Amino acid sequence: MPSWQDFQPFIVTGLALGGVYALSGVGMVVLYQATGVVYLAFGAVGAMGALIAWSLINAGAPGWAGWLVCVAFSAAVTLGYGTLFGPPLAKRDPLVKATATLGLLLVLFGVMDLLWTTSGGESRSITLPTDNSGFSVSGVQVDWTQVIGFGLGLAIAAATAVFLRYTKLGTAMRAMANDREITATLGVPVRRVEAAAWLGCGVLAGVAGILLADMVALDATTLTFLVIYTLAAALIARLRSIAFTFLAAIVIGLVQNLLTPISSVGNYNDMTPFVLAAVALLVFSRRSVVSRSREET
Amino acid sequence: MAGTAVAAAGTRQRPAPRRPARGTLARAAVIAALLLFVLLALPQLISLYYVDTMTQVAVYAMVALGLGVLVGRVGLVSLGQVAVLAVGAWVAARLLFATSQPFPLVLLETGLITMAAGTLLGLPALRLRGLYLALITLMFAGAIAIVLDTTNFPNGGHGFLGYNGSLVHIPPIRRPSIAGSDPAYFRYSVVVAVLLFLLAYVHIRTRPGRAWAAIRQSEPAALAAGINTTFYKLWAFALASFITGVAGGVYAGAVHYLYSLDFPAQDSIILFAVVLMGGAYSLWGAVVAALLLELLPAVLNNWGVSADWLTILFGIGVLQVLTTAPAGLADQVPRDLARLGRLLRRLATSGGAREAVK
Amino acid sequence: MRTRKHALTARAVVGFIAVIGLLAAAGCGSSSSSPPSSKPSAAAVKTSQCGTKPGVTATGSPIPLGVIVTNQPGTSFTDISNMADAYFACVNANGGIKGHPIKYYIETEQTNPAQIAAEAKQLVQTDHVVGIVGNTSIIECSVDSSYWQKLGYDIIDSGIAPECWSTPNSAAVNMGPRYSSDGAVQYALSQHVSRIVFDQSDVPGTGYIAAGPSALAAHAHVPITQFTEPVPISDGDAVAIKEVDAAGPNGAVILNFTPPEALVILQAAQHLGIEDKVKLWGCSTPCNTDFLAQSLGPKWNSKLFVNAELTPPDVTTTPTMRLYKAIYEKYGTSGPNKVSGGIGSFSQMGFTEAEIAVHALETITGPYTVASVNAAFKAVTDFNTGMLCQLWTYGSYSMHIPNNEDYTVTPDNGKMVTAQGCTPISSVDPQIAAYRAVAGTAKTVQ
Repeated sequence: MPSWQDFQPFIVTGLALGGVYALSGVGMVVLYQATGVVYLAFGAVGAMGALIAWSLINAGAPGWAGWLVCVAFSAAVTLGYGTLFGPPLAKRDPLVKATATLGLLLVLFGVMDLLWTTSGGESRSITLPTDNSGFSVSGVQVDWTQVIGFGLGLAIAAATAVFLRYTKLGTAMRAMANDREITATLGVPVRRVEAAAWLGCGVLAGVAGILLADMVALDATTLTFLVIYTLAAALIARLRSIAFTFLAAIVIGLVQNLLTPISSVGNYNDMTPFVLAAVALLVFSRRSVVSRSREET
Repeated sequence: MAGTAVAAAGTRQRPAPRRPARGTLARAAVIAALLLFVLLALPQLISLYYVDTMTQVAVYAMVALGLGVLVGRVGLVSLGQVAVLAVGAWVAARLLFATSQPFPLVLLETGLITMAAGTLLGLPALRLRGLYLALITLMFAGAIAIVLDTTNFPNGGHGFLGYNGSLVHIPPIRRPSIAGSDPAYFRYSVVVAVLLFLLAYVHIRTRPGRAWAAIRQSEPAALAAGINTTFYKLWAFALASFITGVAGGVYAGAVHYLYSLDFPAQDSIILFAVVLMGGAYSLWGAVVAALLLELLPAVLNNWGVSADWLTILFGIGVLQVLTTAPAGLADQVPRDLARLGRLLRRLATSGGAREAVK
Repeated sequence: MRTRKHALTARAVVGFIAVIGLLAAAGCGSSSSSPPSSKPSAAAVKTSQCGTKPGVTATGSPIPLGVIVTNQPGTSFTDISNMADAYFACVNANGGIKGHPIKYYIETEQTNPAQIAAEAKQLVQTDHVVGIVGNTSIIECSVDSSYWQKLGYDIIDSGIAPECWSTPNSAAVNMGPRYSSDGAVQYALSQHVSRIVFDQSDVPGTGYIAAGPSALAAHAHVPITQFTEPVPISDGDAVAIKEVDAAGPNGAVILNFTPPEALVILQAAQHLGIEDKVKLWGCSTPCNTDFLAQSLGPKWNSKLFVNAELTPPDVTTTPTMRLYKAIYEKYGTSGPNKVSGGIGSFSQMGFTEAEIAVHALETITGPYTVASVNAAFKAVTDFNTGMLCQLWTYGSYSMHIPNNEDYTVTPDNGKMVTAQGCTPISSVDPQIAAYRAVAGTAKTVQ
């Protein structure tokens, strides 16, 4: 069993990654609340944004321009998708809406592999200027990127919670989560609220894309399917509570990383999000056995 | 999802009045003729490359059939069927290496074992609805993929896992003694596929099929009508797992060597997308799905076109199906062709009218 | 109304896709840019040296050859087949094989056994290839070896799977992951480390690969810890920490990964500041690229020791090396079969395999059939490829490890330089011992 000393660096990486998962999870939950869509293409959008940023930076553009394009791209695609496919699917089952985002995921995935083909010897990476500067906390190296990861996750979660509770737009989103029809009859501009939710989610997807590309790997497959971790956190929070999403994301990040030095666990630590999410789904959904039957459209 | 969105063609609660025998007989004759062609003539007409490819089509037609039963008939979405296929392949490989039982017996045992595993996993998941069920199957699939990554597939080694990592010569998984060559094995897989399709057809036409239709339409109403929804949903899981398990066994014999790389999690998503496109409800849809999944990439590979275009196509296909054609291509294509026919006729007559005016 | 909705949504779908496409196309260049390749040597070499009749385009009946290489997200060996294609293009432009051009059929696969088996049949039945040259695939040797054996094809390949070295019908120009890892571990042992940590990517064959380093470490009475990582690596920091912790201050961490993955680990170690916490780092041959040397800073000079299966291109100026670079410049830098990785191990392997094939084909008098071509391949004996430590022999043995001597290189401010010259892989590895028992030891020429 490794010593406390051995675990320390993994606590840092766990918190940092957990922060980014939290950031993504918040985006996903807010979007679900406002539109009923579980945005499975979250990772793919961020991944493609990160690859575009890489291409621009590689061609000579300054770093910040690349990241800005990444965020803008993610926001544009997400908003575009929401505008085009939100309304026709609005009345359908959440499963249909989630499956449609799988369609978007596949399209993006194919495009990414076409445009950024793998070459035998090279690799791509995104580096942020905060990567190489950091500080030491009781012998463990912490770099500013990790601080940003955790910090942004915390900040976004807090800001979103406040936003949902105290602003008009946020309240409208919460109302729509409850009942879209009634909210519409009350005079809330439903389409515009949804658009705002899509846009916000897209922005977060872009930010998460850059951070994950830096902290994990700039690889289309990896980044696209990292959404599973985010999804697990959101599911544990039952796609409802921002606070729980944040906590769940941190826990997932920590547990997965802390299991790494335990050699008997080996590579099974990658199962963490799957196991946690499955358990969460089973335990927390025990109540609703028979729901209102959904009529087909 | 697609289950609820599927066209309500089969929602009768009582046995339907008997159809005119001629239509059914004609259709059966066509299917029989097609089957005879595929079994006897096709392997001679195409190159071995395509024979191997068509064997894969047969395998994935079975997998798509299992998913189609779940999604199209009962309305349960599983995003983990490729993991079930992997489990089936694992079991079959283990049995084929460890015993010298005849191949059909191994297939049967594989189906049963996979069925047991699938049902066990399905049990706790049954209380989940729609989206959550889909997501939990995705989670299970992810977990199974990671386990298989670490345990690997049997390759003739000893112990429960049957995996010997340091072999310099990996023995191939055997095939049935009557079907060693590729064309013979293709015929064998088609026969197995036909048997499984018949099995599914019998289910659909009898009580389980009616119960499933009732559940898909409205689960509370089905409960109120006295149908044991839990039992029938489990039965659907069991049937789908059995079919997919047997498909895994056929796959193992086809490829001779199994690697965890062959069953990535995203394949389950693509499978689902393709089944939607092919049509989750009709049995033909499963065949269409398999052709899209296996034949199309092989053809494109031959032409030097990247498989990525297919991924994009499938993504677009999913979006299109969900927004406009819930019954999938198997339903859509005949409708589109009919529409095309009407358009052509209209053009012909309007052209003729113009001629008359001149 | 339904038709209108249908049309509207269909249009919207198309429009949406177009938008994505435009954004993507506008926002970026395409795939990886090729790294700066070594400039052609001052003494310019005519590429026409590749053929027997300079400047004469071959116009006879073509000699069809085939190849199967992996090309999937994360792993691409197309550089090898593309460089071989470039070599053949050069030969075809300079006389061909006694006037016959070589037609090279390239099949790419995505590690799908059914697809690989089908492609082998495609090459044989539809394309009627008479020889297979250049196969590089994670599993092809396993999947197809009995097929090739049955039909009498003797493959010249750059192997990865165990069967590439353990069957009679395959002879590789490289050493492959096991023997190359042996080389890296051997070097570390020669530096008297007290512990070895061997970490490799979790692709098929890990047990087979691990057996070599285990044998070497056991023989030297040095404890060895074995890890595998699923690739692509998602947490480089965690992997680096795990390895350094297991190796200890006087230990060595030996990696067996493709360059991008190895880079993730090494860069993580550097940014965590732990690269100096072990005595040395080692890597099997895939790390031997200038791209890696450039991406790693000077901290790794004489800290990272990479096993090199092929003669280092940057410090060698033999005519063959210059011909290789010239052919790359002329035929490999543009067109559909571009060698995107530039000068480096992969393209060197492709060049060497094509070179051997052409050398063999030129000895054939009479028709070019499966029998005559493969007999010629097997008859290649003591051939000086100019790219390997030793003379290369195919031979009629039950197993083939013709490349079993290697260099060790280390980064030096952006380039890979030789740290140790040609050194035989130890016979402590039982497979090496078995091969030397049947084939003897080939002469070292570098």
